[in-house]
Amino acid sequence: MVNTDGQLFTIEGVAAGLIMLLTAYIIVGSTSLYTPGDTHISDMQLEQTGRDALHMMNIPNNSATSGESTLQRIIKNNDSSQFGQTFLWFCNNRTDGKSDNFQFSADYYYRNNLTNAVSQVHITESRKPTGSEHPMRVTQWVQMDNSVGGSMPAAVEKRVQVILVEVLLWRD
Amino acid sequence: MARLNSDGQWIVLMGFIVSFALFFLAIVVNQSTIVGQTTAEAVLEFPKNDILNARSAVLSASALSSDNITLVRNDISSLSLSRKNAIVSFRVSAAPPGSPYTKTIEIHYNNGVTAYNETTHQ
Repeated sequence: MVNTDGQLFTIEGVAAGLIMLLTAYIIVGSTSLYTPGDTHISDMQLEQTGRDALHMMNIPNNSATSGESTLQRIIKNNDSSQFGQTFLWFCNNRTDGKSDNFQFSADYYYRNNLTNAVSQVHITESRKPTGSEHPMRVTQWVQMDNSVGGSMPAAVEKRVQVILVEVLLWRD
Repeated sequence: MARLNSDGQWIVLMGFIVSFALFFLAIVVNQSTIVGQTTAEAVLEFPKNDILNARSAVLSASALSSDNITLVRNDISSLSLSRKNAIVSFRVSAAPPGSPYTKTIEIHYNNGVTAYNETTHQ
């Protein structure tokens, strides 16, 4: 039997239902924090790994002897296979024992003091970049003493200098 | 059949207050999306590695002779301008008299968005 009793309860029920629905919608919608450009999060991780690897290579192995770092020795002796081996060893080691799949292409840049020109020397790469990768660029300043010995290219001046090692880094 | 009466008004009032409180709390939580976005943008923009790296290069160069410091400063300035779009310069001078240090090192870094200037002693 239809009658007009309890109208206020009905209205109150509808209002409460609407408030609960709205609240639930806002709460569920705000549990995840959206950040722009999700790929940049993994880019930052890649960049940090590469930077740490290069930085480790640029720290002298022994304070007692020559004080030369692995990276300085590699560049001075033009030892590209040692660069690839050490860099990939630092990058690809993972705690679960399986190897990561980093690939890289490394160059360094030096300045000529007479012409002030900046030139490039390719060190090595683990795989030729095809252009379809999504690489990160990590860099490291390396202080070199090229005045005696070593086998850097002849175009590099025989003096104390700082060069910039640049590595393009991507996962395969 | 329930009749319209005036019992339990306190309970109804409290119910309304609690629902409105929840509603406003939910709006506050909702705002955190914008906070996440601003933070992520700031993190992506800040050249942390570049500054750390330039700083360590400068600090190790400060041990060189003054001729070599000039050469190395030109190296760092030219290379960072051509490869990293940043202006980096530094100056090594004697520490102020009476200071327990021997050298004052001023480091300047500017990539157009972030400027970093430091004066340190060694």
